[in-house]
Amino acid sequence: MSMFANTEELHRIMAELWAAIKNDPDMSRKIKESKLIVQFHYRDPNGLITVDCSDGSSFNVYTGDSDLKPIVEMFMKADVAHEFWLGKVSVPLAILTGKMVAKGPVNKALALLPVLKPAFEIYPDIYKKRNGTKVST
Amino acid sequence: MNISTSTISQTVSGAFKMNPFVFHCPTKITFGEHTAATAADLVKDLGCRKALLVTDQVLVKSGVLQSVLSGFKEGEYLLYTDVPPDSDVDCVNSAARAAREAGCDCVVAVGGGSVLDTAKVANICLSLGGDLLEYEGLNNLSEKLRPLIAIPTTAGTGSEVSMVAMVKDHTEGKKLLFGSRFLAPDAAILDPILTVSLPPKLTAATGLDALTHNIESFTAVISNSVFTDSLCLESMRLLFEHLPRATAYGEDLEARAATLIASTMAGLAFTNSGVGIVHALAHATGAKYGTHHGLTNSVFLPHGMHFNLDAVAARYAYLARRLGFSTAAGDDEAAKELIEAVKQLSARVGLPSRLRDLGLPELKDGQLDELAFLASTDPAIMFNPKESSIDDIIAIYERAY
Repeated sequence: MSMFANTEELHRIMAELWAAIKNDPDMSRKIKESKLIVQFHYRDPNGLITVDCSDGSSFNVYTGDSDLKPIVEMFMKADVAHEFWLGKVSVPLAILTGKMVAKGPVNKALALLPVLKPAFEIYPDIYKKRNGTKVST
Repeated sequence: MNISTSTISQTVSGAFKMNPFVFHCPTKITFGEHTAATAADLVKDLGCRKALLVTDQVLVKSGVLQSVLSGFKEGEYLLYTDVPPDSDVDCVNSAARAAREAGCDCVVAVGGGSVLDTAKVANICLSLGGDLLEYEGLNNLSEKLRPLIAIPTTAGTGSEVSMVAMVKDHTEGKKLLFGSRFLAPDAAILDPILTVSLPPKLTAATGLDALTHNIESFTAVISNSVFTDSLCLESMRLLFEHLPRATAYGEDLEARAATLIASTMAGLAFTNSGVGIVHALAHATGAKYGTHHGLTNSVFLPHGMHFNLDAVAARYAYLARRLGFSTAAGDDEAAKELIEAVKQLSARVGLPSRLRDLGLPELKDGQLDELAFLASTDPAIMFNPKESSIDDIIAIYERAY
């Protein structure tokens, strides 16, 4: 059984997580500096999150279909994303075993990994609050 | 044998337990003198009728290609010889276009890393069509490509068995990385005769590239399979024993054979476990200043090993003892003896030990920061066993300079 009941719940949780990242001055500044448009494609349940920092100054997050043309796209099961945000996924291993697919300039996506680490502390509370399920970290 | 340093761990109950791993090995490997002539038969075995034969002008002029072509009849291949040393997207597109127009249904690549990578990426275009950039990334191919046979003429890149390929986009000034299990060639032909004409400096540099693949994949953050470990260990033994001979006496077929096999073994290892900070630095330096990949790896290797020492001393020590470089009881001491052995091999085959000897200018702060950022975001670095900061990377660069 997936850690997310359906697409709506997945979108809600991810949107709140990205809002928290946006509100964190350090993470927000570094992600804006990347000038990336990153799209996360999830499955089981399906979901689509687009993070747009392309102009270097604004930070917009969209759930569901988007007309934006992403620079980097990541594809994974929603449960792999859940484990990732808990800080439990070895990204190299996930890539070698095919659990994560990276489309586009991978180096740009990798540059964001250390930037996002503080979000591993934020996510469990967001997941717990939205889902009501205790998360072991 | 000190079992604690291997990939087998002992459980509380005393039973031995293997770490979980995935090991891909989709390439049929044929080895032997004159086996290059069997390429045409392999094409037919793979159910194909006409091959795009990708190579470069140097190999055409050297006559190396003749042995490959000898098995083909007229009309069974299209020769594409325009791969430059630093191949790019334009070359890939041009090769794929030529193959489509000629009705080719498979690819045969004969050459060094640039030729093999060009052929692999051209095969994406030939097989799937569309915009090449749609396939950039890792695991971003979802279907099998047309059959590809790789025939290396250098002993270093391991591209003949690897699941990755890189080409430059000179217009955008960047390197495009493609990584997928579908990129591994269907067959590799290892004919040592094809490597005999490789000049000593390139023999040495490509050999050190293979050695770097071994050491980095043996200690990669998630390597840990007995398959990759055994490949690395035997490949290193072959390289330490035979690379000096292959470099000094190019026509020594035994040494050429050993280094060619060692390179392929190292390729199989790294494509399953990744590399590390040495490759990240070599990619960044090569991209910015055009240095030769193998040469740059050889300079950075002892410095990268020294940086990783505290994280993987036991793994280095294991190699040092198994390869006969150390009898020291302490891991640190044994590990340092491996680093010393690497330096000695590099010196013995005549390679420079400093970046300045590769013609690199002394970099200023801004340039160093830029290079370190490039290295810090290179995909290779995520497999390094120890995390590194920008300052760490700059320190390694400065020590290597």
